[in-house]
Amino acid sequence: MNSMNDERFFDLAMKIITRQATDAERAELDALRACEPELCAEFDRLEKDVRLVKDTLPLVDAMQTAAGDFPAYAHERLQTKVRQVIIRHVVAKGQYRSPALIWRCVLGLVAAAAMILVVVLPILHMYRAPRIQLAMLDTIGGIRGTDTNEGALLRKTWSKATLDFLTSVEALHEWETKNKPDEVKVIYERAAAEVRVLGKWHGKSFRKTFLVEPDLEAALKEAKSFIAEQIQE
Amino acid sequence: MPNLQALRRGDANAWDEAFCWLWPAVFAVAHLKLRPYFPNEIDDVAIESLEELVEMVHEVKSSEELKPLAVSIAHHRAVSLLRERFAKKRGEGKTESLDVPTDGERALYEPASSDSPLADLEQKELAQRLGKVLAELKPPFGEFLSDFFLHDLHYEEIARKRGVSVGSVGVYLKRGLEAMRRIWGRDDNN
Repeated sequence: MNSMNDERFFDLAMKIITRQATDAERAELDALRACEPELCAEFDRLEKDVRLVKDTLPLVDAMQTAAGDFPAYAHERLQTKVRQVIIRHVVAKGQYRSPALIWRCVLGLVAAAAMILVVVLPILHMYRAPRIQLAMLDTIGGIRGTDTNEGALLRKTWSKATLDFLTSVEALHEWETKNKPDEVKVIYERAAAEVRVLGKWHGKSFRKTFLVEPDLEAALKEAKSFIAEQIQE
Repeated sequence: MPNLQALRRGDANAWDEAFCWLWPAVFAVAHLKLRPYFPNEIDDVAIESLEELVEMVHEVKSSEELKPLAVSIAHHRAVSLLRERFAKKRGEGKTESLDVPTDGERALYEPASSDSPLADLEQKELAQRLGKVLAELKPPFGEFLSDFFLHDLHYEEIARKRGVSVGSVGVYLKRGLEAMRRIWGRDDNN
């Protein structure tokens, strides 16, 4: 086909494809296609090209549009989306610790600290007890020794404590004045029928006398309770 | 044009700038497809398109890709909506027509039909092609193609509008079509 016919075929094809052709132009194109059958394939190809242009150009035009304001109501919705996506992306890369995770860690640490304060410290405190020293003053004599009932009661009440038997007030005075920190002395004065407690615990001094009434066992029990109260406070 | 690195960091100001820049394009596409049938859906489709773009920001290599991708997303979303709504209208999931479509419906289905060259393209592929058309279809070929194929102007009208002879209009159209064919890889060598 010469260039003149080529141009004419193209113009006719365009008009027919876009439904602008007259009956005469349709007949002219049919005549051209009858003479040159390869024009049928070319016509099909042009139809596809036109379809491509009609589908594509509106989108290209849209890309070049500058008119239209971004609606304010969409702003927060889209910014929320941005935050979600960025956080998800950072988490996926393993670079993120969410505030909730951090708070869970902090709360875990606080709970652990509270557990230590509530449970562990009292246990430690319980194992840290004052040293108890026992003395029994018997100025009359005759009933001394570890085999006496009184001595046995003293040992029974404070099984880990040491027990001294004293026979004079001077010796007792000397014994009492040998104070050490966090030490409790329990003195049973048989003649006075009393049990005295002298102690120091964490810098605090305490003292109390218990009468042996109705018996020594009861007095020792009271003395032990008193000591326990003092070292707990 | 927004800063891609700032967008990837989630910079709110950069995203505000991007949304304002992209909005006219995504809105125009949604408007183009949905205005005759579902005008109430235009804003939603445009916003959803921008949301989807946010999801894909880490896959984009340059800021220049943002607008073609946004337009491609809006196109796919609008076409999906049309297909879904009309499928429901014609009887849930049935592909064949139960009644003769109106001219409007037929026109509506054109861009979504299987013989459309855009039908089989994924979002990213369509975005690449649109970016390429924008960059490579030099003036005045795009204007001549638009006048004739989109605005239905006759040769004589185009000649008057563009200040050329009537005989030249066909030449511009032919060269424009050849350029499109080349950009889309549909020339004789492919």
